[in-house]
Amino acid sequence: MYKFMDDENGERQPAATDTAQTGEGLILMKNIWKTYQMGVEELHALRDVSFSVNKGEYLAIIGPSGSGKSTLMNLIGCLDSPTKGDYWINGNLVSTMTDDELARIRNKEIGFVFQTFNLLARATALHNVELPLIYAGMGSGERYEKAQAALASVELGDRVGHKPNELSGGQRQRVAIARALVNHPSILLADEPTGALDSKTSVEIMALFEKLHAEGNTIIIVTHEHEVAERAHRVITIRDGRIENDEKIK
Amino acid sequence: MIRLLGSRFYENLMMALDTLRGNKLRSFLTIFGVVVGVITVMLISSIISGINVAVEKQVESFGTRSIFLYKFNIGFSTGRRSREERMRKPLTVEDSDAIKNLPSIETSVPFLDVSNNFWGSKILVTGRNGKSSSAVQLQGTLPEIEKTTTEVLMAGRWFSQSESDEKANVCLIGSSVVDTYFPYTDPVGEELDIGGTPFRVIGVLEKKEQLFGGGGGNNDQSNVIYMPLGAALKLKPNEDDLFILAVAREGMLDQAKDDVEDLLRVRRRVPYGQPNNFSMETAASIIEQFKSITAGVAAAMIVISSIGLMIGGIGVMNIMLVSVTERTREIGIRKAIGARQGDILLQFLIEAATLTGFGGLVGLLIGWLLTLLVKLVLPSYVPLWAPIAGFFASVGIGLVFGLWPAWKAARLDPIESLRYE
Repeated sequence: MYKFMDDENGERQPAATDTAQTGEGLILMKNIWKTYQMGVEELHALRDVSFSVNKGEYLAIIGPSGSGKSTLMNLIGCLDSPTKGDYWINGNLVSTMTDDELARIRNKEIGFVFQTFNLLARATALHNVELPLIYAGMGSGERYEKAQAALASVELGDRVGHKPNELSGGQRQRVAIARALVNHPSILLADEPTGALDSKTSVEIMALFEKLHAEGNTIIIVTHEHEVAERAHRVITIRDGRIENDEKIK
Repeated sequence: MIRLLGSRFYENLMMALDTLRGNKLRSFLTIFGVVVGVITVMLISSIISGINVAVEKQVESFGTRSIFLYKFNIGFSTGRRSREERMRKPLTVEDSDAIKNLPSIETSVPFLDVSNNFWGSKILVTGRNGKSSSAVQLQGTLPEIEKTTTEVLMAGRWFSQSESDEKANVCLIGSSVVDTYFPYTDPVGEELDIGGTPFRVIGVLEKKEQLFGGGGGNNDQSNVIYMPLGAALKLKPNEDDLFILAVAREGMLDQAKDDVEDLLRVRRRVPYGQPNNFSMETAASIIEQFKSITAGVAAAMIVISSIGLMIGGIGVMNIMLVSVTERTREIGIRKAIGARQGDILLQFLIEAATLTGFGGLVGLLIGWLLTLLVKLVLPSYVPLWAPIAGFFASVGIGLVFGLWPAWKAARLDPIESLRYE
């Protein structure tokens, strides 16, 4: 029952030591391993990965399929926990959190943008954007205003009542971005955000990411397309579960 | 906190209603069992309440101050009477007279039923119009019957004390007897042939309200002829099976019951500590007796209808499991943007409860319309508990049978769910 009624105002306060170790980093990964048991064999999807991301960075994570890129994204997005190692996000040590605590972090700290948009088909654009606020426990009046504002910021202020199947691919992805931003997360985490879009729309969406970055948002894009990665200011290349390269390009 | 839960509940309710709208046919098929279950509850409760009211009216028409006395147990019993009961001696006219003299008693009347029964010789009632019947109830009684409220005189008069003493061949007839033998003439002063003896009709009685809308034959309470006790004994000299109706004084029913019981125990020599060898009932006690039977029937029917509800519940569980599988991706999305296990659990529970609760409401509506039909036959009403219980039972079914699918949904892994096609 406590699941319904815990912390009305959000955060579980992390231990003081957790904050101390993160320093300036918004994201800090230390010696992260992710191992899958395949019968008797152990499959190491991530081997000893360490890196940090500061507030306001625009980072691309690139790598071929099977490189461990998706596993890393799931860990960053708090959809999964590492087998070994520590992961801090915004001062919270998430690598040891329970499922419900992770849900809380996903709700407050992370805005997801997916390749296939992942909007609720039966809900209007507005309702889709309101959803994270519902799970944050926000009242309907405040929620409505925030969702309206988020949709306006992606230039969909006039499409709030439309359902996903009444919107174009680019518009759907912008609804998804509005949903990701509405709760003011620490990072915007995008998984192949242009993978399902034509090239013209892709350019629009990438421009939108740049605009959001300019406004101070921290953005992490996971992709296998170099054109997409090149728009970022820093690129991490993953291969065989390790960071092969980590360079600032702008 | 309450506001928070409330708003989340509202959101979930809206989502659930939306889902129901999106799957109309499926939703309807799913809730069918629940609908039928609730209709059953409504109908049973209204029929039983109807029967109770009808019996109550019927019994109370004999008077709420009346005490019924008979050698055998009165009321609703099944099976053969016990040996002790079969050996009991009949009540007598003297018993009735003694009861009448009790201070708590207003009056007391004996009734001797000389109608045809299985064993006796047939007594035919024949009219001038040539009609003849053996189904008329023939009651011998005393002039005190006038003071009881069992029968209402419509025309003519009751017989006098002297007619009673002289065993005069006079009679009063019920409305059904009028219909049979005197359809077009005023019966008062006319004659009827009862068992070969001509009886003069001196009074006509008002039609009695019938329990189940009337009908003829032996159950028709207006198909009755009253005559002086002595005259009745002339028709069946060996008949001694006496029934006594005593009427208590206003506000003294309890006292009167005690007095009558004490008196009859003494007169019938019942040893101290032994049970009565006669039965004594009042309108209230007969109604009580009857209600305990209908309550038993109601309990049985509720068990049956709850089996229906259970089957409905299994249907709900099945469809909710399908729904969870179909919406795996949706669950993944919700979890990715911050839904906790409890949120998902709540969502699917509310959806299941909304589904069955809606079924309950449909059942209540249809059931209510059907009870209006029942009302045409019985003076029925739907007791308040029936729709309330029906509605909460259906919501409860949703919660109980939705729990397992909802728990399954809540436990889904977000990564797998997001990948689900």
